Amino acid sequence: MMHCTMEDLLALRAGEGSVWARKHSATCAECQAELDALYQRVAQLKAMPSLRPARDRWPAVREAVRADKRQQRRVMAGWGSLAAAAVLATLFVVQPLGNGAPTELAALDTIKQRSASIESRLTGSQLGNRVMSGWEAALAAELEDRIAVIDGQLETRTGTLAAPRSAEMDLWRRRVDLMEQLYTVRRAAYQGM
Amino acid sequence: MTLSLAVPDILVARARTGDEEALEALYRAFEGPVYNLARRMLRNAEDAEDVLQDTFLEVVKSIRQYRGEGHLWGWIRQITVSKALMRIRREHVRAADELQDETTGKAGPAGAVGAGIDLERAFEDLSETSRAVVWLHDVEGYTHEEIAEQMGKTVSFSKSQLARAHARLRRKLGGEGSVNG
Repeated sequence: MMHCTMEDLLALRAGEGSVWARKHSATCAECQAELDALYQRVAQLKAMPSLRPARDRWPAVREAVRADKRQQRRVMAGWGSLAAAAVLATLFVVQPLGNGAPTELAALDTIKQRSASIESRLTGSQLGNRVMSGWEAALAAELEDRIAVIDGQLETRTGTLAAPRSAEMDLWRRRVDLMEQLYTVRRAAYQGM
Repeated sequence: MTLSLAVPDILVARARTGDEEALEALYRAFEGPVYNLARRMLRNAEDAEDVLQDTFLEVVKSIRQYRGEGHLWGWIRQITVSKALMRIRREHVRAADELQDETTGKAGPAGAVGAGIDLERAFEDLSETSRAVVWLHDVEGYTHEEIAEQMGKTVSFSKSQLARAHARLRRKLGGEGSVNG
């Protein structure tokens, strides 16, 4: 007599048995007993005791977690350094294009005011209208030319904002120096009249 | 295996932030089920412990991606099965299969203790692929389709492995009858 295979029994247990297997198992005591045994076996498998690890593996997991955190901190520190470098770059490169450091700005304003003051004295007085000697006129012309060159450089700087603040200060100092020399020359010519 | 491992949402939320205490609480809550599942699939206790460790390393690494959809145990179980099957595929398991170093948790039904021990031994004798299929299908409730997908095999492979394993268990347990195959 043909009996159910284990595949047939498993299919019957899953409710997917063939028509033949269903009919046969319903009438065959041996196959019915096998099916019951299968159910019992599965129930016993489910009832098997829970096994627990002999060793605690948490310390190893925890160490890996901590190592990962350390790695993340290193990465974050790396990004932090990059961010700090970017901020410093902004301060040293970008900011001078705009406002500059307060002390530098104050010094620059001072020297600009001094330059304007001397220029005001030169143009506001009668010094420029006086007739000068040849060498005085030549000296004054040379000074004025040199001042004009510096003015040109200062104008150029306005378009190229990346130049260092110290270079601008130097130009203004030289301009003030030349203006003072020019004032001295004209004053001498005025007094010599 | 049916588990009702309820884990407070706040614990999961804390674990997501990398809170070590919360992560350890999760570990303590699930180490038993994870180890048991791995140990039932693998023949060697040390390999099962390695799977336990690998599983929780993955849990720690990926918990930010866990969206809270479904039971947390379902998510962790999936990781465990994946790690255990990976170990079977790599054939890193050893032949030793003693259980004496292990402590047991709850006992089975009193009337089934004797039969349970026999079944335990018979189950231990199965190949790792067979025991993995039996455990996942009969105990964890995986379908043949799910097992086939997890193992990278066909549904027919899963069904035939299950049938062969049960036929072997039946013989080992001294079953006599007329079943074919």
